[in-house]
Amino acid sequence: MQSVHHHPDEDLLWDYHCGAIKPGASLLVRAHIEICPHCQDELKVFEGLGGVFLERMEGVALTETALDLALARIERPAEALPRPVRKQPVFLRGFALPPSVAEAPVTGRYWAAPGVWIAPINTGETDRRVKTYLMFVKAGMIMPEHTHEGQEMTLLLKGGFTDTYGTVETGDFVVRTEADSHSPAIAADEDCLCLVMQTAPIVPKTWLGKILQPFARI
Amino acid sequence: MSGLVSKFIFDQSLVIGATRRMTEDDRHLDASGAAPSVTAETLIARIAASRDREAYAQLFCLFAPKVKAFMMRQGMGFQAAEDLAQDTLLTLWRKSELFDPARAAASTWIYTIARNLRIDAARKAARVRDLPEDLWQGNAPKPADDQVIEHQEQASIGRAFDRLPQEQKAILRLSYYEGLSQAEIARAQSIPLGTVKSRMRLAIARLRTHFLET
Repeated sequence: MQSVHHHPDEDLLWDYHCGAIKPGASLLVRAHIEICPHCQDELKVFEGLGGVFLERMEGVALTETALDLALARIERPAEALPRPVRKQPVFLRGFALPPSVAEAPVTGRYWAAPGVWIAPINTGETDRRVKTYLMFVKAGMIMPEHTHEGQEMTLLLKGGFTDTYGTVETGDFVVRTEADSHSPAIAADEDCLCLVMQTAPIVPKTWLGKILQPFARI
Repeated sequence: MSGLVSKFIFDQSLVIGATRRMTEDDRHLDASGAAPSVTAETLIARIAASRDREAYAQLFCLFAPKVKAFMMRQGMGFQAAEDLAQDTLLTLWRKSELFDPARAAASTWIYTIARNLRIDAARKAARVRDLPEDLWQGNAPKPADDQVIEHQEQASIGRAFDRLPQEQKAILRLSYYEGLSQAEIARAQSIPLGTVKSRMRLAIARLRTHFLET
C-alpha cells in the first residue's frame, strides 16, 4: 500500500497488541495492519520487546507431569480446526480485501440510500450501540453532514473521500469523535468502500440526513 | 511415556527457572557464562524439518516455565497459566513450519502465540483470531537442520531496552509484565496519564530505531 498517510495512533496499536480493545475496533486495526507495512513494523517492536521480556522471565516450576503431558499431546492428531469456509457474499466479489475483512462474518447488505449500501459485520459485540459494518458509496456522492455521539473509526478499503479534516485515501485509518462534524465527499472518479466501527449512532445535521437515517440504520 | 522422557538428555543451561534467577547483570549470559550451544531457533527448525521430539522437549523445558510465569504475572491463576503454557508450546509444535527465523526470534514468536491464546481465552466467545502468528512468516529459505541460527535484532532490541532511561523501562515493564493499561500505570506510579503516554512513546520510538535499522 503505497499511499497510507493516516495510521492508528500508538496508544491504539498498543491496546490492540494487548487485546484491550473491543472486537470491532480490533478488526479495523488488524485489517489496517495487514495492508500497512509501517504499522506492521510498529507491531514488531511491541512483539520483539515482548520476546525479550519472555526470554528474561524467571520461569515458574511446572507440575511434575507437565513434560509427559506435552509429549503425549503432540502425538495426537491436531483437531480439525472448526474454521468454517465462509462463502463470500456476491456483492463483495471484485473488491481487494485484507484477509481479516474477507473472512469477517458479513451476512447481507441493505441499501441505505441510492448508491449507498451497508453490510453489517457480526463481531460478537454485545453492546447494541456499537456497530461494525462495510459501507459502499458510489463515486462522487456527498454524505449528509453529521457528527458522532461516540467514536467513529474508518478504514478506507477502496477509493477515498475528503471532509473538513482533509483527504482520506485507500489504506488510511481515521478516527472521528463527538467534536468532529463532517460531510464526507467521495472522490469523483472511484467508488468508495470502507470498514466502519461506531460506538454510538451518528447525529445527522441536515434535514436530508435526518430523513435518511432511519433507512441507513447507523 | 516417562521411559521416553528419561531418554532425553537435557542441557542444564536450557532449563531455566528451577535453579537460578536472571539478574540485570548477567542477562546476556547463561549460567555457565557462555551462550547455549543450541539456540531455540535451531530447535524449532528441527521440529519443522523432522518432527524432532527431543528438540521439542528441550524447547518445552526452556519456554513453558517462562510462559507460565509471564501469564501468572499478568494475573492468571497457577493452573490456567500452566494450561496456557502447554497450549502455547503445542501450537508451536503444530505450526513450526510457519516460523521464519529471518523475521523473528523464537522468543518473540512464542510470546506472540501465548499473547494470542491469552486474548482468545479472555474473549471466551471469540471467533476472530487476533494477530496471526504468520505475520512473521516470510519467504526465506528454510535453514538446514543443524545450522545454528541466531537472531541479531532480538539481541539488539534487548540491549536498546537496557539503555533506556529508568523511568521508561519501568513503564514498559509494568505494561508487559503486569499487563497494566496506561491509565493503571499512571495510578500505580502517581504520575499523570500524559506522562505515561509520552514516556512510552519515547521508549518505543527509540526501540524502533534500534530494532528496525539493525
